[in-house]
Amino acid sequence: MDAASRPAVVIDNGTGYTKMGFSGNVEPCFIIPTVVAVNESFLNQSEGANKENCLAQYNAGIMADLDFFIGEEAISLSRSSGIYNLNYPIRHGLVENWDTMEKFWQQSIFNYLHCDPEEHYFLLTKSPVNSPEDREYAGEIMFETFNVPGLYIAVQPVLALSAGYATSKSEMTGVVVDIGDGATHIVPVVDGYVIGSSIKSFPIAGNDVTQFVLQLLRERGELIPPEDSLDIARKVKEMYCYTCSDIVKEYNKHDKKPDKYIKQWAGIKPKTGASYLCDIGYERFLGPEVFFHPEIYNSDFTTSLPDMIDQCVQSSPIDTRRALYKNIVLSGGSTMFKDFHKRLQQDLKKIVDDRIDASNARHGVDIKSQPVEVNVVSHPIQKIAVWFGGSAVASMPEFYESCHTKEEYEEYGASICRTSPIFKGMY
Amino acid sequence: MILLQSPSRFLLQILQDRVQSPEKGVDLDCHSVEFGDVRYHIQISMKKPQVMVLSVSLPIPPPEAIFYSGLPVGAIEAIKAAYGPIVQILDPPKDGYNLTMKLYLSKLPSDEEQRQALLVKIASVREVVLGAPLRVVLKKLASKTVAPDVDQLIALVHRPEESFFLVPQAEKVIVVYPMRFQDSIDIVLASSFLQEFVEARRTAALNNAPPCMWSPSPPFELKGAPAEALTANAGFVTFVIFPRHVEGKKLDRTVWNLLTFHAYVSYHVKCSEGFMHTRMRRRVESLIQALDRAKPDTEKSKKVVQGKSFKRLSLKEARGI
Repeated sequence: MDAASRPAVVIDNGTGYTKMGFSGNVEPCFIIPTVVAVNESFLNQSEGANKENCLAQYNAGIMADLDFFIGEEAISLSRSSGIYNLNYPIRHGLVENWDTMEKFWQQSIFNYLHCDPEEHYFLLTKSPVNSPEDREYAGEIMFETFNVPGLYIAVQPVLALSAGYATSKSEMTGVVVDIGDGATHIVPVVDGYVIGSSIKSFPIAGNDVTQFVLQLLRERGELIPPEDSLDIARKVKEMYCYTCSDIVKEYNKHDKKPDKYIKQWAGIKPKTGASYLCDIGYERFLGPEVFFHPEIYNSDFTTSLPDMIDQCVQSSPIDTRRALYKNIVLSGGSTMFKDFHKRLQQDLKKIVDDRIDASNARHGVDIKSQPVEVNVVSHPIQKIAVWFGGSAVASMPEFYESCHTKEEYEEYGASICRTSPIFKGMY
Repeated sequence: MILLQSPSRFLLQILQDRVQSPEKGVDLDCHSVEFGDVRYHIQISMKKPQVMVLSVSLPIPPPEAIFYSGLPVGAIEAIKAAYGPIVQILDPPKDGYNLTMKLYLSKLPSDEEQRQALLVKIASVREVVLGAPLRVVLKKLASKTVAPDVDQLIALVHRPEESFFLVPQAEKVIVVYPMRFQDSIDIVLASSFLQEFVEARRTAALNNAPPCMWSPSPPFELKGAPAEALTANAGFVTFVIFPRHVEGKKLDRTVWNLLTFHAYVSYHVKCSEGFMHTRMRRRVESLIQALDRAKPDTEKSKKVVQGKSFKRLSLKEARGI
């Protein structure tokens, strides 16, 4: 049995969470936080030459380099014992620390997935603003260390579109709004090809919403133990936040009926074991409001998300714009707020309609342009849309032919991974 | 971390989730593949949430170690002994699989610890099935009931189309592995890793470990084996297992470690490659630092455009400072 007859391994590494599993499945086998806890007690001993470092490692225990954990275990271990430091290899969608990334992959393949990398084709995902060097490094690690027979590095927004394609036969043309934990990107895709020059980035992502919720809670004087504060803010965000259609009305609703809207959060202080209660009020709708009015969080940035989406579509080729407006796909964990897509559609439609009215007014009564249909698509698997798209792509028979194979790698070197078939013809 | 874990994490995760909240789940139908070509197919339908259908497909056995009716010798007895009333083996197994079992989750023991232990055991179904013949031999060793004149070579499945050999004798069992790797770098690393095994055994702390030997040519215990089994590009590893290694609780661990020896070596070879990359990167960084110091100041203050292709000339530029 060769590698092409086995299901491929699909790994989607994001800033916050990594989703991994085998192709052909509906959901990933594992969703773990992208974090590595490393035992760095031996590294601090000598800052000098590499020779001393290795000797210290040898003395610290021959298996010191294997003394690390990933995912949930890493987080719980770093809390309980002091010798492990948490390391986040991916920041804002891009890999910053390749050593830790390699360790993370090694553990996830051997310990979590329990599979032999030499027997499977791999599908990795990359952010759209990734540089070709990053793809090269990833390919190098995969081929050199893990000896994979074939590798395909996919672009996350295109996979998100394929997810929609598989479930409801929608088009491969659309704008993908990918709001993850570390980075938000707005990417127009036409017929499966990314229009590289129109990719827009939005500086606010899931992590920032969490920080904002925490800030609001603290400003109000709620008592939250500082060690868990980010964790609690994140859980509050995931459980209680929703998107409203109008802030002023929402404030009024909250003030008139406090017991209906204000929720309680019960927790236990880790150090003392005492329980505490915490009120959650305006944060519920102010959190996601950050996407529509970023100035409440960060005064440097004033363009709202619907505005950016509009700018993105306007900067794409003119013949694609209607199709792009018709299919705006949401993906990523931070788009799971209740009614997020409705609010986005409402705001975006307003912007588009205003512009059409203005141009109609300029031209007079004779020429009236057709109204533009704006459609924001959301479906229940948004959180793992990228992984699901990867699984769908990897189960197609053409997948195995479009991978970079080990023979190509040995012949031409790591530079084969720089190009992706998606970007061909555009860059 | 150092040793590969026996229970399949994915199976264990599904089992634990389902046991904790059986009504909350949705229909489940998924595949999973493990090293050595062991495939699992798991099905749970919400019409009967307490029943899980698990199908296991085993690697293709080499010609010298055949499966009887699709399973290794003694596998069915081993499953019945390990799982008891929870499991019902479906005969014939599903298309393309060697074994199909129905697991009745409602029949799990209510005691928390026992339940957890049984779930772990279910998730180690691979060890139970593939390790059945090995377990039989080692149990005989532990109870010292091996006939003294028996000296035959037993071949057991190790990986697809590859096997490892057992020579059971009165007071010990000799286990021989022909090691084969595909990549040339892997072969070199594995050979030195295995030779290191032999060296490490000589240190005083490991006196209780089974003695092991490595040789590039087939040892004389294998003289009865077929010719294709005797080609190995990373040498032959021999372990001698004594009764003290297989008494009581140690039997399970010994069976698992012996069964997945190649995967273990392959895992460590890849870890060492990863570690060497770490050291290489550190060395490259220190060299670039030296180059940095040699640069005139005006060049260093160039701003780097984020996201576009650039030549990595200095550490500062690479980190985007």
